[in-house]
Amino acid sequence: MSLSEHVYRMLEDIVGQGNISDRPHILAAYRHTSPQGGRKSISPEAVVLPGSTEEIQAIVRVCNRYNIRYTAIVSLFGLGWLVSQQGTIIISLRRMNRILEINEEDGYTVIEPAVRHVQLKPEVMKRGLSYPVPSVGPSCSVMANFLGKGEHHIQHSYSKNNRYLLGYEWVTPTGEVIRVGSLANDAGWFCPDGPGPSLGGLIQRGNGIFTKAAIALDAWKGPSVMPTEGHSPTYKVRLPPDCHKVYIFKFPNLDKVRDFMIEMGKAEIGVGVLKFFYATAAVMFTVSANDFWDLWNSGLFQKELPKAVWVYLATWTPEEMEYEERVMWDIVREFDGEEVDEQVRKKWEDNMDFFIIVSFLQRVLKLGGGWAPIIHTESLHHTFEIAKTIPEFFDKLIEKELLLNAPHNFQVIPIEYGHGAHIELLFFYDRTSSEGHTIPMEVMQKSMETDIKHAHYSPMPASGELYSNYQVWAAKIKEALEPKV
Amino acid sequence: MDSLRDYMYTMESCNHCGQCRFILGPKMRGWAYAEVCPIYQRYKYDAYSGQGLLNIAQELLEGTLQYEEGLLKHIYTCTTCGACDINCKSVRDMEVLDTILALRAKCVEDGQGPMPEHKGYARLVEKTHNIYGQPHDQRFAWLSDHVSLSQDTKIAYFVGCTTSYRYPDIARNTIKILDAGGMRLTVLGSDEYCCGAPLWRTGQREAARKLVEHNLDVFKKKGIKTLITSCAECYGTFKGFYPRTAELDFEVLHITQIIQAMLKESKLSFGNTLNMKATYHDPCLLGRLSELYVPWNGEIKAYGYHDPPKQWRRGTNGAYHAPREVLRAIPGIELVEMTRNEENAFCCGGGGGVPAAFPDFALWTATERLNEAGSTGAEAIISSCPFCRSNFETAIGSGSKTIQYHDLTELVIQAL
Repeated sequence: MSLSEHVYRMLEDIVGQGNISDRPHILAAYRHTSPQGGRKSISPEAVVLPGSTEEIQAIVRVCNRYNIRYTAIVSLFGLGWLVSQQGTIIISLRRMNRILEINEEDGYTVIEPAVRHVQLKPEVMKRGLSYPVPSVGPSCSVMANFLGKGEHHIQHSYSKNNRYLLGYEWVTPTGEVIRVGSLANDAGWFCPDGPGPSLGGLIQRGNGIFTKAAIALDAWKGPSVMPTEGHSPTYKVRLPPDCHKVYIFKFPNLDKVRDFMIEMGKAEIGVGVLKFFYATAAVMFTVSANDFWDLWNSGLFQKELPKAVWVYLATWTPEEMEYEERVMWDIVREFDGEEVDEQVRKKWEDNMDFFIIVSFLQRVLKLGGGWAPIIHTESLHHTFEIAKTIPEFFDKLIEKELLLNAPHNFQVIPIEYGHGAHIELLFFYDRTSSEGHTIPMEVMQKSMETDIKHAHYSPMPASGELYSNYQVWAAKIKEALEPKV
Repeated sequence: MDSLRDYMYTMESCNHCGQCRFILGPKMRGWAYAEVCPIYQRYKYDAYSGQGLLNIAQELLEGTLQYEEGLLKHIYTCTTCGACDINCKSVRDMEVLDTILALRAKCVEDGQGPMPEHKGYARLVEKTHNIYGQPHDQRFAWLSDHVSLSQDTKIAYFVGCTTSYRYPDIARNTIKILDAGGMRLTVLGSDEYCCGAPLWRTGQREAARKLVEHNLDVFKKKGIKTLITSCAECYGTFKGFYPRTAELDFEVLHITQIIQAMLKESKLSFGNTLNMKATYHDPCLLGRLSELYVPWNGEIKAYGYHDPPKQWRRGTNGAYHAPREVLRAIPGIELVEMTRNEENAFCCGGGGGVPAAFPDFALWTATERLNEAGSTGAEAIISSCPFCRSNFETAIGSGSKTIQYHDLTELVIQAL
């Protein structure tokens, strides 16, 4: 189905000439999935570039009236935007990229959807403020990451991104504008919920289009401008060493890794505490695939990092740093930890942007890589139980030489000082091999089956009955919100 | 010469991360001036970006996209500034700019490209050996009898078309500076033909190759071991394009690098004060795109391993420091930096044949860059490329900009 000229003109009247196109070469940018995507995207019928909430409302109403599917996009990173059905248009929010407010006194910022981390983060840093940037790379949409529960390296102390979402403005799939939380009562942006039930669960299921959102800001303990030296791709970003330090400790086994994290949480020290993926670290801290192989074949990361914890300490004063270091070392000794090889630690000391904006995150995919399901747990104990079952399926895939031999390549990040946790498995495969296109799906499937078998994870239809049939309600809500599609 | 098919790995590797459009994380400074791709900033659609051009190239190659109205303009609107390429290469093993240039070459091979305005380049170069169609015997009209040239030197100053015919003051300044520093050099006279940059960057590689062969033959016959340029386009072309045809057996130096060396060796010193707050604009082909091209004909094996190892051009060793050191050495100049500098510099809009085919867009791009320069509080923008000068001066002349443009050689002469 292609758009009729009548509908095209209606959309053009809304956004203005030059902000809509159905030319095949313009749409080529939306027909290509990521190499690890495993499927080809269907071409959209057109792309429209609205410039305001009102224009989005009008577009959505036209779509409803003429039964046209739409998908809203900003950065195209990730696979959620892929067009999967004929007759879909892309609504690119690219023109809506303003920072509307940075409220230093109350600690929040109001942004439009297309503001990127590389734009917002330095603006708030200038003002002595900060927010956690998820592991997506600097050019992704801030708002998308906060609506989508972005994960990041410092959620040990900062919590997950959705905790930072305050008031927001939402165009529903039927074209109504809803202002949520304190905003609904003209009370400003400071709170995501008003009286009555929270709508947070509804909006995070991907219904409608979000046009403005307020994000909470924290105090920033670092310099107002990134202290960058050198040139791409070998930048150095070192933060003042009296108040910013990175340590990497290795432990005899995963139980001690877990217990170290728990005690660090109890002590409420450290901005970042995480067990990071060691093969991924090798990919991220080398520029080319060849450099990676040189490092990997040296065996350094395999020797030092499979059972290691990264600690990023950031304090207001050197005295505070001294206190945190003393406490940290007590805990390290309690669990038989020791520092890894100095040359490994130096890589993080030289690139502390790893904890700030993850500048080089996109290197992760240079070998061909993918993620198995990411699971959030109620405790670090639970997370490490999941970790123990990874070899059940992962080792077989490694034995078949479908994956890089990196059996411990998962990360665990405590959330809110260990009151929750996150585990994520990352695997590397040769995407140019004959089986390349099937490997990501196979890993994800096996991972999910293993998690279901051990009751680590439960898909909605399986667990719904235990929780008031919430899957039925979820379907009804979606139907109510999207009556035509 | 490489073909578009050689870049299939690049085309298939893109995962839409957006790095080709935005300043790199370590260089982030704020909301403004965070975008590095002129076409993406101006035209907004994702197809106007490194990623979009890769997608178009792949579809054209595979036959799923046909030449259609607007496609050629789309491909040729890109200034080929390489910001996408260098930013992508900070995280990936991909050749974005070479893919875009190979795409243009394919358009020419398919009888579709280049733009009509660019076809004129090849005709004029064939006839007059310069892109302006000016009489070849006037190429060195700027050279006065007072200039002392040496006949027994292996150092030659390659002037270039734009400097010779449009901005001969740069040539005169360059000669004066080299003379003041005690360098004995020669020029190529009627043997100097266009370096080939405008043809290379518009996909007319066969015509460009003929120029390369001619110029290399001249260098060889004259025994040239050091080639000096005052034009960033010539410099980047010698280092980035010529090695695709033959191995260079001479070194290429830009005048800024020579002045830097002369200052270090105390062969030059500045006696005059120039009171000026200024910012430096990195020309694309002197900065991020100036590293030597090293041919690679290997195989990409499992997990992206390049066998034999490939020497990448990631913009790390561009000529960023030389012009800045020279400017800082001039008494009275306060040098301030724009947000998008060095490898992240925003293009002036003067490259890739854009001013000829899309003058409005070239003007828009230059104006955007001048606005950024103005935001630093600088009263002058300085650069080292006659193409940048042309585009900036056009923008300054057409608007209400109060900022001044200076070629670096002009200030050096004033300060000597």
